[in-house]
Amino acid sequence: MKILWILGIVSLLSGCNQCSSQESTDGAQTTTSTNTADLKSYPNTPITEENLKWLTNETDAPLGSPDAIKGGTFKAFMLTYPLTFRSVGPDSNHSLRSLFLDNDLSLIYSHPNTQNIIPGIAESWAFSSDKKSMYFKINPNARWSDGVPIRADDFMYMLEFYRSKHILSPFRNNYYTEMIDKIVKHDDLTISISSTKPRPDIHEYLALGPVPRHFYGVIDKDFVKKYNWSIIPNSGPYILEKFSKGKSLVFKRKKDWWAKDLRFNKGRFNVDRISFKTIRDQNTAFTYFMKGQLDSFNLTQPDYWYKDEKARPLVNGYIKRHVFYNDLPRPSRGFWMNQASVLLSDIHIRRGIAYSIDANKVIKQVLRGESQRLSQVFTGYGKYTNPNIKPLPFDPKKAAASFAKAGFTKRGGDGILMKGRQRLSIEVRYGNKQNGDRLAIVKESAKEAGLELVIKYMDGSAFFKSVLEKKHQIAFMGWSVSSKPSYWQGFHTDNANKPQTNNITNTSDPALDKKIEIYRASINTDERISLAKEIQQMIQDRVLQIPSWEAFYFRNGYWRWWKLPKVPGSKESGSSFDPTGYTSGGLYWYDKAEHDKVKAAMKSKTKLDNTVETYDQYKTN
Amino acid sequence: MIKLRFDPLTLKKFRRFREIKRGYYSLLIMLFLLFAAMFAELWINSRPLMVKYEGQYFFPTYGSIIPGTEFGLDYPSETKYRELLKKFEGQNENWALMPLIPYNAVETHSIEGEYPPYPPNAKLKHYLGTDTIGRDIVARLVYGFRICIFFSLLVLVFSYAIGIIMGCAMGFLGGKFDMIMQRIIEIWSNIPVLYIIIVIASIVTPNFWIMVTLAVIFGWHPITYYMRAVTYKEKAREYVQAARSLGASPMRIILKQIMPNTLSVVVTFAPFAIAGGITMITALDYLGFGLPAPTPSWGELLSQGQKNLDDYWIVWSVIVFMISVLVMVTFIGEAVREAFDPKKFTVYK
Repeated sequence: MKILWILGIVSLLSGCNQCSSQESTDGAQTTTSTNTADLKSYPNTPITEENLKWLTNETDAPLGSPDAIKGGTFKAFMLTYPLTFRSVGPDSNHSLRSLFLDNDLSLIYSHPNTQNIIPGIAESWAFSSDKKSMYFKINPNARWSDGVPIRADDFMYMLEFYRSKHILSPFRNNYYTEMIDKIVKHDDLTISISSTKPRPDIHEYLALGPVPRHFYGVIDKDFVKKYNWSIIPNSGPYILEKFSKGKSLVFKRKKDWWAKDLRFNKGRFNVDRISFKTIRDQNTAFTYFMKGQLDSFNLTQPDYWYKDEKARPLVNGYIKRHVFYNDLPRPSRGFWMNQASVLLSDIHIRRGIAYSIDANKVIKQVLRGESQRLSQVFTGYGKYTNPNIKPLPFDPKKAAASFAKAGFTKRGGDGILMKGRQRLSIEVRYGNKQNGDRLAIVKESAKEAGLELVIKYMDGSAFFKSVLEKKHQIAFMGWSVSSKPSYWQGFHTDNANKPQTNNITNTSDPALDKKIEIYRASINTDERISLAKEIQQMIQDRVLQIPSWEAFYFRNGYWRWWKLPKVPGSKESGSSFDPTGYTSGGLYWYDKAEHDKVKAAMKSKTKLDNTVETYDQYKTN
Repeated sequence: MIKLRFDPLTLKKFRRFREIKRGYYSLLIMLFLLFAAMFAELWINSRPLMVKYEGQYFFPTYGSIIPGTEFGLDYPSETKYRELLKKFEGQNENWALMPLIPYNAVETHSIEGEYPPYPPNAKLKHYLGTDTIGRDIVARLVYGFRICIFFSLLVLVFSYAIGIIMGCAMGFLGGKFDMIMQRIIEIWSNIPVLYIIIVIASIVTPNFWIMVTLAVIFGWHPITYYMRAVTYKEKAREYVQAARSLGASPMRIILKQIMPNTLSVVVTFAPFAIAGGITMITALDYLGFGLPAPTPSWGELLSQGQKNLDDYWIVWSVIVFMISVLVMVTFIGEAVREAFDPKKFTVYK
């Protein structure tokens, strides 16, 4: 949801941006870097820690297919054109940022299926005994797209870079100061990074990537403007080749990419070129796809999965479709109830509302029974999710009984419950227009329980602001997820009844606080898992959020000449056609022979196999 | 206040209006639609017109809900009449008379094994089909029409009340007042109304009256230009001088003398203002900043239709209905303008 509203704003802004910028500025804009002679060199510090155990990963299965061949151009689209090619600083949080970030590799990654560490720029790593630091050996072959080798200095420089005020990114400034204590260069290829305090799963915090020191040099207050449209040297499989502002972006595969023969990258990143075209409307993009002008399309939403079902490319199997069940932390989508509102401070009202919300009707009627009800706020975190928690079902009788406990006993002329002269009427805000239909169904069925829900759509950014300022009664939204549940920001007293914090339920409960504090401080995995489950039960008992629905899978449609590995994705994939993601992306390849075959079939209108493949390796229930 | 005495001149205008057939018939159709929409509950409703249950008669159309318990069902919320009808099947003494279209504008109808939007189906009485979540399109069109036409009429009345008085005052008083007001209006008229309403709608929950108020606040000024000019013209006439010499107050002169003579300007602009009002609320609803969901509205239907072009019945229903209404309003406007035109010999084409 958050992403959607950001998209919305970006699309508004970029509309204007396009008018003022010169059209067709094809090709790269060159930005000469500052003289590297100005740069200080970093001294070597010997490793003091003894008995370091260097680790690497030679066992976890790679995702790429051995059959993959290189070549071809993959045609994709973007709803909005990026406002900058920088991945830091103002306007950099655009929808295509991942394309740039994916190509800036980190030291290490987590294997998407096993969660074990796999190499990135580091070929091996070691943990310090105090659980605060990690040591990394940089792959000696690692180099930037301009051929300059990646060395320890690029990491030393990275910390200075992200702490610099000139990048105008308070978030990065803060993160690299509060989370990262220091980076130490032991020699050109060995570094260590220390966190400010011991943390569980420390490798997730310390998996940083280098910044090209030779390119930026000493940065100054012109940074943001100077590098707005620069093609910055990167370390990943693709680099931006050419662009036409407002219209298109073309990424080119590096033929001699330094990491192409790493075990985990074999058979991946096969396409020579990935071209993105700006299509500002999803429906228009779908039409492009059906005409073969886009190579794949995300069909997860039933609107698209069932659209044009009788069109020839689908019936005749020129377009293939598949369903892939994934298993990853789900966004905490649902109805967040603000206890600062007088009505919602009463647990009986909150419980009554939970019984009045007919999520299954929405799933059945709008989502065609293909989505599932989320079980709680923290669904899909594996061991960290309490499997015994189930959402309260739709039950008008139980709802009425619960409302009665709060004093709402009589029904008014319109069927809404009353307590004296007060009606049981509660506002639900939302910021994504798509949810209007769904909430309309929820509103209608809530009437059966005697509850009036006033549905209010707000523009995405205004919605989010009002929620952070805790001006809502119920907010219908979901938070984006991290790899482990985090409770402090959402449920701790520290963040309650204060604007601009994520505790949007204004939960302030000493018993809960105590558990959250222990969970936060603990670096013992078993303890954290058991606490995580206890806290989830407490959140459930207090009825702070009513979970909604989510598709536990993704669906892709793609033209038949695109080939995929036997399992076209990982547990964490969101699409089989992620072009650049380092952990699960770049799996597909182009098959010229098949393309010719399909072309001939299209010409003669021959029918090809049109079965919809289902991949349920990672299906959870 | 203005007395509408039907003097021969006025009668002549009416006659002229009737002669312009397309305007006249448009007016008749519009009046009929307005009337039908006002009593929409009687022919498009999920509540029956009449229920006979155990010898007792019920008239659920208007007024409070009748809980299911009244009809021996086990829930205290509003009776689901479609289910009740099924229960009554085969019973002679218990029956319910449903309206022509037995759906209201917000209920979602689901058919087992099929998914909305459902195409037009006379057997199910979805004469124009349903929208993407199974709400009847005729119901949404008619109830949506009722909201937008009353919105336009109210906006028209209030903004013209303000605009006419301000315009007349500017023309009549002239001088500094005129100067200052002119500048204020110039600034005011440069405010992008739609954007302002979008901004405000994101701060407060827009309801019908808030929308009317906003539209009036930002829409009262266009008529002031014409009123000011006409008043300037009329002010110089002898009858105004005469009234003034008799000692009439400026207020009295404006209201009793000048205003009736400026009426023709007002009537000619009014229909176009109505069309403007309809378009405005439709545009806001289309963008999602109008009345909150699930209020029936044309704009919302248009946006659904645009997203689901394959389900042609959604977009075509609303386009045809909206264009017809707007065209009729324009015809009426043209005819009124023509009828009130003092140059009698203009040829009406």
